[in-house]
Amino acid sequence: MIFEWCRFAVAVVCFVIGILFMVLAVFGVNRFDRALNRMHAAALGDTLGILFVFLGLILMRGWSMDSLKLFLVILFFWMASPVSGHMISRLEATTDESLGEIQVIRKETEKAAGSGQAEAMGTENENGGGRE
Amino acid sequence: MEQIISAYHILFLVAVLVLAVLVILSILRSVRGPRTADRIIAVNMVGTQIITIIAILSVYLNENYLVDICLIYAMISFLGVVVLCKVYTGVYLQKKHMKATMEAIEDNVARQHPVVIAEEHDNSRNPVEAAEKHGDSRNPVEMKTEREDAK
Repeated sequence: MIFEWCRFAVAVVCFVIGILFMVLAVFGVNRFDRALNRMHAAALGDTLGILFVFLGLILMRGWSMDSLKLFLVILFFWMASPVSGHMISRLEATTDESLGEIQVIRKETEKAAGSGQAEAMGTENENGGGRE
Repeated sequence: MEQIISAYHILFLVAVLVLAVLVILSILRSVRGPRTADRIIAVNMVGTQIITIIAILSVYLNENYLVDICLIYAMISFLGVVVLCKVYTGVYLQKKHMKATMEAIEDNVARQHPVVIAEEHDNSRNPVEAAEKHGDSRNPVEMKTEREDAK
């Protein structure tokens, strides 16, 4: 009985932390004013929020096939969330006309391989602004 | 034993209610969001919260198959985000006749902030112009119109 109540207490703590992270994610998404900032807040709920809530559920379930599946959901989210975040940030960096100051980092090998092309592109950027 | 079961039920009920309020707030963001990326982020977050609700319900109702639904929901949500991002990037770049590579991002950055380009590429190549750009603190919108005039 004591063990059951201890498990319940740990599950409550996990739930509270996870839902707190979700609340922080929603708060941040509603508060920040740029999409790239909002993405940072949204990733908080996608990773830590889901981790703690599912950890609480796994604790309640004990060792079973369902808790394995819940763990699989966490694993999938931890792999899928960075990928979707990268896609969204790429969309934002490509299409936003009033993006402000961001730093574009290129790999050195890529720069070395396509330096002549990049040079041509760079001059074109300065002169024409577009390639219509 | 009765007590602990009712305690679990109260915990699940409170968690699901809080998550429902969060879903409503996220939907509000997705309606208000000024750009497409904001909407996609908000919809992705709604998906995350719905998955959490389904997982909690699977324990609450003691139904095992809801965990499978949870997993499939996660996959479809991820697929939806990827497809939406690809489609919106493609539609935007088709108007500019560009491919979805790093050059597109660099072109977009160059349009609004010339200093970054000056630091990245032009320092060694063209020092006079780079210095000119470093000293340049005009409005990016003006710069853009000026470039279009030059064209």
